[in-house]
Amino acid sequence: MTSWRVLLVAALILALLPLGLPLYALTLAIEALILSLFAMSLDLMVGYTRLFSFGHAAAYGLGAYTAGNLLLHTDIPVVFAVLLAGAFSGVVAIGVGWVCTLATGVSFSMLTLAFAQLLYAVAFKWTAVTGASDGLAGIPRTPGPFGLTVFQSKIGFYYLVLACLVAAFLFCRSLVASPFGAVLRGIRENEAKTRSLGYNTRRYKIAVVGIAYAFGALAGALYAAFAGFTNTELLFWLLSGQVLIMVIIGGAGTLVGPIIGAIFFLIVQQYLSSYTDSWALFFGLIFIGFVLFIPGGLLGLLSGRRSGGTI
Amino acid sequence: MDLLGFLITQCLNALSQAALLFFLGVGLTLIFGIMRIVNFAHGAFFMLGAYVGYSAVQLTGSFWGALLIAPLVVGGVGAAFELGILRRLYGRDGNAFLMVTFGLTLVMGEVIRLTWGVAALNVPLPSALSGIVFILDEPFPIYRLFLAGAGIVVALVIWQFLERTRLGLLIRATSQNAEMVHALGTDVRLVRSAVFGIGCGLAGIGGVLAAPLVTASLGMAPNAVIDTFVIVIIGGMGSFLGSAIAAVLVGFVQVFGTYYFPDLALALMYLLMLLVLVVRPGGLLGREA
Amino acid sequence: MALLEIDHLTRRFGGVVAVDDVSMRVAEGEVRAVIGPNGAGKSTLFHLITGVLKATTGEVRFADERMTGLSAHAICQRGVSRTFQLTALFPEMSARENVRLAAQARGARRWQPYGGTPIFAAADRLGDAALERLGLTHVAHRPAGLLSHGDQRLLEVAMGLAQQPRLLLLDEPTQGLSVEETAQAVDTLASLLDDGGLTVLLVEHDMEVVFRLAHRITVLHRGAVIADDVPTAVRADPAVQSAYLGGID
Repeated sequence: MTSWRVLLVAALILALLPLGLPLYALTLAIEALILSLFAMSLDLMVGYTRLFSFGHAAAYGLGAYTAGNLLLHTDIPVVFAVLLAGAFSGVVAIGVGWVCTLATGVSFSMLTLAFAQLLYAVAFKWTAVTGASDGLAGIPRTPGPFGLTVFQSKIGFYYLVLACLVAAFLFCRSLVASPFGAVLRGIRENEAKTRSLGYNTRRYKIAVVGIAYAFGALAGALYAAFAGFTNTELLFWLLSGQVLIMVIIGGAGTLVGPIIGAIFFLIVQQYLSSYTDSWALFFGLIFIGFVLFIPGGLLGLLSGRRSGGTI
Repeated sequence: MDLLGFLITQCLNALSQAALLFFLGVGLTLIFGIMRIVNFAHGAFFMLGAYVGYSAVQLTGSFWGALLIAPLVVGGVGAAFELGILRRLYGRDGNAFLMVTFGLTLVMGEVIRLTWGVAALNVPLPSALSGIVFILDEPFPIYRLFLAGAGIVVALVIWQFLERTRLGLLIRATSQNAEMVHALGTDVRLVRSAVFGIGCGLAGIGGVLAAPLVTASLGMAPNAVIDTFVIVIIGGMGSFLGSAIAAVLVGFVQVFGTYYFPDLALALMYLLMLLVLVVRPGGLLGREA
Repeated sequence: MALLEIDHLTRRFGGVVAVDDVSMRVAEGEVRAVIGPNGAGKSTLFHLITGVLKATTGEVRFADERMTGLSAHAICQRGVSRTFQLTALFPEMSARENVRLAAQARGARRWQPYGGTPIFAAADRLGDAALERLGLTHVAHRPAGLLSHGDQRLLEVAMGLAQQPRLLLLDEPTQGLSVEETAQAVDTLASLLDDGGLTVLLVEHDMEVVFRLAHRITVLHRGAVIADDVPTAVRADPAVQSAYLGGID
C-alpha cells in the first residue's frame, strides 16, 4: 500500500494544481481525474476480486445519462445530481451483479458485456430519456444549494471532481483494508476455498459490483456535468476496453495503479493524437505487451514487482 | 398473408441465420476444444471478415473472390496471432488469455477504424444471388437461401474433415488428450496454430457472408462474440454437433423473436444466455467449461 | 443422538454410483476414519456432507439439523469445517492471514466494510492459537504458497481448527508427506485430538495413521459401506481384507 506521506503529497499537488495551470490544461486535468475515478472503480472488481468486467462503460453511461436527465429536468444542484446519479446506478448495478454472478469466469465477463450492449442499444432507441443517437445536450451545472455557484466555474468544478476522487479513494482504501476487503482477497485467490470457509461469496461479489458501478457512474455523471452533453459513445464497448486497459497497465489491485493508468492513457492520447490518428491502436498494443511481459503494470514496475496477482 | 407460406419463409430465414451463427460457433468451439480458451476476439475476426470481404469485392469486382480471399486473410491473421502472442501464454492464468484476446479485439477494432473509417460499409451482392424467389407466393431473398445452403454444405465439409482427414483426427484426439498426442510425436503446437487459424477463418467467412445483410460496421464485434458465446454455451464447449444444433435453435429464437418483439433482439440473446448458464453451465452436449 | 447422522446417502453421476446407500452415525467427540481403496467414494462422501455436491437421495443430519440441500457456506456456518485432498489455500497470503480469514468467517461481523481492528484481533487470537497447535508459528509470516508441502497440509488443518468447528473433516491430511513429515503430523494430530472436544471425520490411506488416531473405522468399497467397527475388528474383517487385495497390515 502506498504510504500516507506519498498520498498526502499527491493530494496537495492536485489541490494546488489550478493555481499553476492555464485553463485549457485544467480541462485536461479534470478529465484525468474523472477517468481516474472511473478506472479506480473498476479495480475493485478486477484487481481485488478478479471479476473481469468487459462492460464497465455501462456504469459510466448510466451515471452520465442519469445525471444529464436530473440536471436538465430538475432543479437539483449539480453536487447532489452527480451523487444521486452514482447512488442510483449503484442500486441498479446490484441487480446487474445479481444476474452476472449467476455465472463465473468467462461467462461472467460475457454477461457484463451483454448488459453494456443492452444499455447501448436501449440508449439508441429511448429517445425521450437519452436523446437517441444525438444524446443529451446543454446539460447545465445547476447552482446550489443556498445559491452556491462555485461549481459552475471550471476551477470550482475541478475541486468538486477532486473531492469526489479523494473521497472515493479513501472509501475504497478503507474497504479493501476491512474484513469485507479480506474476503474479497480470499475470493480473488481461491473462491472455492473461501466458500468452504463459510462465506457466501456471491453476496460479496454482488456488493462489489454495486460499489464499483456506483463509483464508475459517479465518474460518468461528473463527465456529463463537465462536458455538458452525453452520447452513446459513453456506452460503447471500446470505452469498456479502454478503462480495463487503464487498470491493467496502471497495475491492478492497487487503487493507485489504475489512477496512474488513467493519467498515462490521457497523456498518450494527448501526446500521440497530435502526431497520429492511431493512438488508440498504439494503446491497445501496449496493453497486450503489458499483459504478456509486465502483468504487474506500471505501479508494479515502480515498486519492483514484475508479476501481478491478477493475471 | 398465408400462414404456411409465412412459416416456411420464416423457417428458411431462421436457417439462414443459423448458418451465420454456425460459422461463428463452430470456429469458437473448435478453438476451445483444442486450446481450452475462449477466443474473445472471435467477434473481431468476424468483423474483419466483413471488412476484408468489402475490400475484396472492391478490388476484384467479384463476391466469390471475396468469399475466397476473406477467410484466408482472416485465418492468416489468426494463425499469426497465435504463433506470435498466444503461444507465450500457455501455462499462465486463464485470465491472461482473456485479456490478450480482448486486447486483440480492441486493436483490430482500431485497425479497422483506421483503414476503413467509421461509416458502415455496404457490400453488394453478385447479381446471381440478389433478387427473390417465390415460395408459396411469399417473396424470399435468394441470398438467404444461398446462406442456408452454404451453412449446410460447410457443416458437412467440416464433419467429414473431422471424421476422415488426418488433421481432423488429430484435432479430435488433441481435444481429448493433448499430452497423449504429443507423446505420439505430433507437434501439438502446430495443431493449435492450425486450428486457431481455421477457427478464425470460419469466423471470417461468416463475416463476409453476413456483410451484405447487415453492412460492415464497428459495432459488429461485441454482438457477434456474445452471439457466438451463447451458441457455444448452449451447444457445449468443444462440441461440433452441439454448435450446429445450437445455431439452429438460436437462429429460430432470433428470427421468430425479432418478428414478435422487434426491439428486443439483444435482450433476447441476453436472456437466452442467462437461461442456459443457469440451467446447464456445461451446455447441452459439451464438457464442463 | 449422534452428532452426525447419515442416512442412505447416495450420489449418482450419470450411470456411475459414487456413493451407494451410505449410512453412518458419528458420536460427539469421536474420531472416525473413513477408509477404502481408490475410487471408493470417500472424497465424494465428504463433498456431500459439506454441501459441495448435492445428494441424489438420502439425508445428512448434523446436531439434529438437516444439512442436505444447504449450501456449502451455510453448512460451514453451522460448525462443520474441512480440509481438501488437493491442498486449498490462499497462496499469496501469509499463513497467519490464511488462518485469520478462516477464523473471521465464523465471526458475527465478518462482512464489515470498514475498520475491523477488533474483528481482526479476535480472528488473530484464534488463528495464532491454531498455528501454534499445529506447530506453524515459525512460518506464520511466510506466504502460504511458499511453505513446504507438509506445512501446507498442516496449515489447512490449522484453518479448520481456527474456525472452532464442532465437526472437522480431514481429507487425507498426510497425503504427499514424507515419512518424517507424516510422523510429525500424526503426533501433532494425536495430541490435538487428545485434547478432546473435537469430532473428526478422517479420510486416510495410511493405515498406521488410521490405527493411531481413530476410535472407529468405516470402510467404503465402490461407494458402499462394507464395515463399520472398532479398528481391531476392521483389521480382522475378511471383506475388508479382500477389498484391499491382500489385506491390511
